[in-house]
Amino acid sequence: MVKKYIVPLVICLILFMALFAGCTQPSTTPAPPSEPKTGGEQEPEPPKPEKDKIVFGSVHSISGPLAIIEEAAFGPIRNLWFKDVNERGGIYVEEYGKKLPVELIEYDDKSDIGTMTRLLEKLILEDKVDFILPPTGTAMLYAAGPVANKHGYILPGMSGGATTIKEIIGGLPYFFSNLNFSDTQVPAFGELVSELGVKSAAVVFIEDLHGVEYSGAVVPEMVLRGVDVAFVKSIPQGIQDMSAIIKEAKAADVDAFLCLAYPDENILCVSQSMELGFNPKLMIFGPGVCYTFFKDIFGDEGVEGLMSWGAWNGKSTPESQELIDKIGVANVDWWGHNLYWAGMQMLEKSIEKAGTLDQSVVREIMATETFDTVLGPTYYDENRMLAAECHTGEVGQWQSGQFEVIGPKNKATAEPIYPKPPWPGQ
Amino acid sequence: MNKVAFTSRNLYLQVLLILVLILLVALPFYTSAYNIMLLCNILMYIIITVSWVLFSGPTGYISLASAAFFGVGIYTSAVLGQSLPLPLVIIIGGLFSFFLALLVGVITLRLRGMYFSIFTFGLVELVKHFLLWWEITKTNTRGRFVILVNYIHVFYIMLAIFLVLLLIAYLIRRSKYGLALQSIGEYEEAAAHIGINVTLLKVVTFAVSSFFIGTVGAVMATRWTYIDPVIAFDPFYSFMPVLMAIFGGMGQLYGPVIGAAIFAYLEEALITRFPYHYMLIFGIIMVVSILYLPEGLIGLLQKLWKIINSGRLAVYREKRQKRGTGREQENA
Amino acid sequence: MVIEIIDIFLSGLLMGGIYALIAVGLSMQYGVARVLNVSHGEFIMLGAFFTWSLYTYCNINPLLTLVICGPVMLLIGFVLHKTLYRSIRISSGGGAAFEGNSMLASFGLLFVIQNMAILIWGASIKGYSYLAFPVNMGGVIFPANRLVTLLFAVIISVAFYLFLARTRLGKAIRAAAQDPDAAGLMGVNINQVLALCFGLGAMMAGLAGTLLSMSFRVQPTMGLEYTLIAIIVVVLGGLGSIPGSFIGGFILGLIGSIVSAIEPSLSLVAYYMLFMILLLVKPTGILGR
Repeated sequence: MVKKYIVPLVICLILFMALFAGCTQPSTTPAPPSEPKTGGEQEPEPPKPEKDKIVFGSVHSISGPLAIIEEAAFGPIRNLWFKDVNERGGIYVEEYGKKLPVELIEYDDKSDIGTMTRLLEKLILEDKVDFILPPTGTAMLYAAGPVANKHGYILPGMSGGATTIKEIIGGLPYFFSNLNFSDTQVPAFGELVSELGVKSAAVVFIEDLHGVEYSGAVVPEMVLRGVDVAFVKSIPQGIQDMSAIIKEAKAADVDAFLCLAYPDENILCVSQSMELGFNPKLMIFGPGVCYTFFKDIFGDEGVEGLMSWGAWNGKSTPESQELIDKIGVANVDWWGHNLYWAGMQMLEKSIEKAGTLDQSVVREIMATETFDTVLGPTYYDENRMLAAECHTGEVGQWQSGQFEVIGPKNKATAEPIYPKPPWPGQ
Repeated sequence: MNKVAFTSRNLYLQVLLILVLILLVALPFYTSAYNIMLLCNILMYIIITVSWVLFSGPTGYISLASAAFFGVGIYTSAVLGQSLPLPLVIIIGGLFSFFLALLVGVITLRLRGMYFSIFTFGLVELVKHFLLWWEITKTNTRGRFVILVNYIHVFYIMLAIFLVLLLIAYLIRRSKYGLALQSIGEYEEAAAHIGINVTLLKVVTFAVSSFFIGTVGAVMATRWTYIDPVIAFDPFYSFMPVLMAIFGGMGQLYGPVIGAAIFAYLEEALITRFPYHYMLIFGIIMVVSILYLPEGLIGLLQKLWKIINSGRLAVYREKRQKRGTGREQENA
Repeated sequence: MVIEIIDIFLSGLLMGGIYALIAVGLSMQYGVARVLNVSHGEFIMLGAFFTWSLYTYCNINPLLTLVICGPVMLLIGFVLHKTLYRSIRISSGGGAAFEGNSMLASFGLLFVIQNMAILIWGASIKGYSYLAFPVNMGGVIFPANRLVTLLFAVIISVAFYLFLARTRLGKAIRAAAQDPDAAGLMGVNINQVLALCFGLGAMMAGLAGTLLSMSFRVQPTMGLEYTLIAIIVVVLGGLGSIPGSFIGGFILGLIGSIVSAIEPSLSLVAYYMLFMILLLVKPTGILGR
């Protein structure tokens, strides 16, 4: 009887081995012929002194729930950077004595964190890319941090961030944080609240990193500013109906309504507020509202007066308008595109200054020097987080189809509209 | 005389089995790091799928709770990984899954078919949201970092779990318990009538299979480095084992192994080569394979086996017939 | 207080109408044609994108799209069953093997449709505002578009129920639901009826998608969440029972609305919790046999 089971067992193990041998063979030979690389062309292995391009690797979410953010925010700006650099002839690297064009190898992580870390290591270990770019969103970025650090690869963190990064960034010397988040945005919002004379507020937050962090920061700030907080409620991701919360806020007749959630919930919240005729004097939302698709859904009049975190626009710095023209105004993410661009510029300039592709040398320059970017003079602070002075704005508002910076005062490009105008057709 | 042939062949197979095992163990010395990681991932899917088949295969109860047990393992690793050594964490992760499965098993005794499936799926969401609520209101954490473990260690641990699981699956299939499970799948009332303790058997098998899923979760978490309840309890991991098992074919032990291995490898190959079209290609492959391989991959293998063997079998039968006639003559 | 209760009750009905419509579609596919169509939500997504495209590019009224979208989806579903699921049914010989295989094929279909949608429409969120204004009914405020959705969902479901209960074809479908083999022996063209059932299921999904797009966001990954809801409702109502699915949809809507009025963070988990409790009390669903 044993025979009956052992035969299939052995077959399966052999097959398993054969399969594995199939994926092993290419890597043992020095020039893998069937290695998966986009574009199909191969580059010589690193030890050779000759180099004709700089290869960047990126794992990001092309499919799955995070694909929305990837497509609306990071995808366009990333592709633009590669196009832009190659149009300029590439990055000058002294080591090779010439300008090297840049190339991108990209993988899809299906919005799955395990796939992301594995493919990131594939990029580093097998494809031997020269630099890596950040994956989609904060959680992914956090997971990529230790992996990149282990291999000594610079991880420019333009795709997310939260205050918890401060707890770990000390142990991750190759991690750079670019995006601004609650610790600079909430005080700016607090100032705004005092200035506008908001008396009462209702807070809704999503049960996730973003929501917990922002509600944790905003509520004490509001209480400190003498705002009467009517209620603080959490909502789960993927909620289908927010009418109960909106009706409650309407009954409480609050001045400000804060929805600290993700694009899905923010859209639901705006459309249900519109449908239920809930029009407080101030409405502020989490990520999503600053993306152009949001304006496409509700129209210029629909989004008029809505606030979100951010922010930047053509008036922020002299170079900003040029960047907007490059991206195309219909594709801009008004929270982070200029920060992303600045991050790429800093990386590029550090490579140029270092004159080598050596990660530790580039990292040293990146961490200490000040660069001229789309944000103006830009530098990282001692924690390798983009210095708060470099931010172009913390709170933004849609005003006649333009996303204007309204806080803090010294960076504002327009006066805030308060109270928010009524919904279109009401 | 028949016996001699049998043992020699058995020995030959055993040697081969050991050889394959040695090759697998030696893998890290002759292949690249990424391949090991890929293999870890494939092993992960294989273990989840084989564990799933351990219970759902013979009994026909389609459990969609794999993601819950997997997530429990992951979470255990995230919470305890900082303070306890890895092997202990893995076993604790498995045990938590084991007890959760015991509990669920006891509760869901009355449910059959689709009702059981959806109930177990609900469990994933329930545990996920409970943990979310707990983390936000009680422990005040938002996501946890898991200590990164060397991939070679992970590989060996996975291999060990895989071998133990194969052994247990093999032993169960061979034993009277395997037959009893089979009879539950065929006709549960009848099985109860002939004196099988249906309840105990179902619950314990379910729990044992969950134990392995939990251990895998605890190991894999160390490769993920950062988790929160939404990441840990991804319903995706409930559906994958079902698909992989159907794809491989559930009749034999090696079906799910092959199914999971090929499925996972194919996915990785497509995802790295065609990041923008991989779902399309993957979907088409799934549809086509189900159209032409209704019994899964083992159906195909068995057919091939038959074709290869048909020649040899004919010779064997001839021999036996001759022998038979010889014996008859002797008797006469 | 009374107004609040009426409010909660009616908002539950508004969600429930959509759930009921989705679930009745899946009930046709799973209850009768025995295909656990995991790609059910993808048909909803297609319907929603269809409507969105017609509204934004051709300015066609979403309610008019119902008339276009329904038959198109019916045809797609019909052809799909005739080609794909029929061959699977033949090759795997019915029963449990067919259920497993058809589910695998549906998963393949889910991947294919979703990827195509991403390639055609992009991954980002779409939407439009249609009838987005409040309607005040005796102190209780409702969104106009959701009221319209509920109205149409009820009309479609009732029309569908009458079709099943009163026509010859409906009788054939009900016969096939109870015992396909016996129905075949009684002279029902079983292949045709099963394909029709699948097509009708797809049609319901498409119509639901059209109605959903008026008040919800539209994106390629939206399908699976509706599929899960549909599966829950179908099981809740009792497998194979169309009225059960209809009632189940409304019950789920009510549960969601009651819980989110008390504690919104539990609104999703409440579905599963109450559903699980109900299953433990009555293991075969509300109207299950």
